[in-house]
Amino acid sequence: MSFDIIFSQFMSGIARGSLLFLVASGLSLTFGVLRVLNFAHGSLYMLGAFLSYSIWKFLLMPLLGFYVAAIITSLIMAGVGLVIEYVLLRRLYARGWPEQLLATYAIVLISTDLVKWLWGGEFLSIPRPKPFTGAVFLFGFPFPSYNFFVILLGVGLVIFLWWLVYRTRLGDIIRAAANDREMVSALGIPIPWLFTWIFVIGAMIAGLSGAVTAPFGSVALGMDVEIIVECFAVVVIGGMGSLPGTLLGSFIVGQVYAFGIMFKPELALAFIFMVMAVVLIIRPWGIFGRPER
Amino acid sequence: MERRDVLDRGPWYENKWWLIVLIVAFFAAPLVFGEFYLTVLCEALVMSMLALSFNLLFGFMGQLSFGQAAFFGLGGYGVAMLMTKTHVNFWLSIAAGVLVAAVVGLIVGFFCVRLRGIYFAILTLAFGQLVFFIIFKWHNFTGGDDGIQGVFPPPYLKSPVSYYYFILLVFLGSTYLLRRIVRSPFGQIVKGMRENTIRTEFLGIHIAKYQLIAFVIAAALAGLAGAIWVPFYRSVAPSYLTWIKSGEPVMAAILGGPSLFLGPVLGMFIMTFFHAWVLGFTVYWPVVMGALILVIIFFLPGGILGFMQEKLKERETRKQRGDSDEFAEDAGDIKSIR
Repeated sequence: MSFDIIFSQFMSGIARGSLLFLVASGLSLTFGVLRVLNFAHGSLYMLGAFLSYSIWKFLLMPLLGFYVAAIITSLIMAGVGLVIEYVLLRRLYARGWPEQLLATYAIVLISTDLVKWLWGGEFLSIPRPKPFTGAVFLFGFPFPSYNFFVILLGVGLVIFLWWLVYRTRLGDIIRAAANDREMVSALGIPIPWLFTWIFVIGAMIAGLSGAVTAPFGSVALGMDVEIIVECFAVVVIGGMGSLPGTLLGSFIVGQVYAFGIMFKPELALAFIFMVMAVVLIIRPWGIFGRPER
Repeated sequence: MERRDVLDRGPWYENKWWLIVLIVAFFAAPLVFGEFYLTVLCEALVMSMLALSFNLLFGFMGQLSFGQAAFFGLGGYGVAMLMTKTHVNFWLSIAAGVLVAAVVGLIVGFFCVRLRGIYFAILTLAFGQLVFFIIFKWHNFTGGDDGIQGVFPPPYLKSPVSYYYFILLVFLGSTYLLRRIVRSPFGQIVKGMRENTIRTEFLGIHIAKYQLIAFVIAAALAGLAGAIWVPFYRSVAPSYLTWIKSGEPVMAAILGGPSLFLGPVLGMFIMTFFHAWVLGFTVYWPVVMGALILVIIFFLPGGILGFMQEKLKERETRKQRGDSDEFAEDAGDIKSIR
């Protein structure tokens, strides 16, 4: 195997890992604070992708259409997240986790049919937006420049989340609540308010990442399940609710996928699961996770 | 979720006479039902086996598996591939289908039983999707998204009525067997793990080993359900293994009441007949199912049987309170704790 093949697989793995991080970070953030595993996170991502397509088509802006659509989509999905948290999840925090899981699963079912009904079952895509249409040469090898846009966005999100969690007051509360929710509540911080905010941020990130995938040409039914399963692999490998863990998990899964697909495309997912299995044997709570209480 | 140990006390609906009447009714069903409803009845029985296998893990062991449909599908694929590609005998194929499901259950379970709670649910879901993905992509071996058609049962089981009786007998047999397992010392250990894993471990019980055995039993039962369903339906498709399918037993258990042995069966019967009815006027079944899940979660926590059990107990205590003094009330409380 020559260097250029390895290098190009590595780069495509980075791009994929970056996209995975975009989705999985929202999932992990929500789980870390709310302790609710949101099955519907992939559905929010899918809704975001379809919505951004429709908004882009409606806007008819050749230059900025994609970016404007992505921003509007994120805002709409934040609203959707607000509704879901306020109407459904809020009533279930006192219940057991199986019921919370089932409630988010119900959202998966409903949104699948909603998408089928509104957009039909076709594959949709947005052309790559303006400065990222061509290729970039790295060590003399061409790479789609849109991949770099996604990588940059992933890096941007890492920095934003790091700033949010470690450098702001909200971040202090987030970390405290992830450790001891009751103590935070006793200190006078309104936990319901915090939960709503976190869920809205998570939904917004999911919507944004959905919009970002549209130029990859893979907006279709079933993309929700596809991404959520890989995100589960990411958070299980990295450790649920941990930001560095999600980053590392995304990197690993992206690379394993990129190189796995080179050997045997049918088994790309199986390779990811093998890595997951190894991690589970050595550290069942993930590389950066904490053991369950 | 609180699960009372009504599992080993025979609940009110498991009165012997009730069951006999019910079984006789099932045997008489082909005289009353037309072919369409007989088909639905077959589906309900088969899916009930899947729901029971799920509830062995959920209701009894306290672990929620979101990948049970993978074993159902593996059993089905085992039968379909053996019967269409190698023309193996029907009964041998079914045995092989169950074996395939059990072996994969052993491999998957080996990893899953290390985890608890939500992590167990994620991992079973992920492995279920992995099995689905492999079958879906491996086109020249499994037929990919086309699935496998033309799986015919032997001539003496060709008519729907005779196959119905076959399914009914398998259902009754496996339910009886499962009931025996649940009531055996092994079943008590499984329930102990649900109530308190750490304490059970302190009793010197190897948690992972017992969970793995229960996991394999559940996988085999789900595989059996898939194996007998496919020859009835004449075909198998990858959609049998998706998490949508895995969600059905979860929902049936919650609907019927996971703390009762036959709760999932009731849930699955309601769901299957409701499904058949809904399909009469819309193809959007998932949205109906999603709405139904939300209704159950918000309005019927504990499931239908759990709800009825609760009401019955309430009435009992009220009756006791009515015709006795304070001391009797205490006694009633003690009785309900036991």
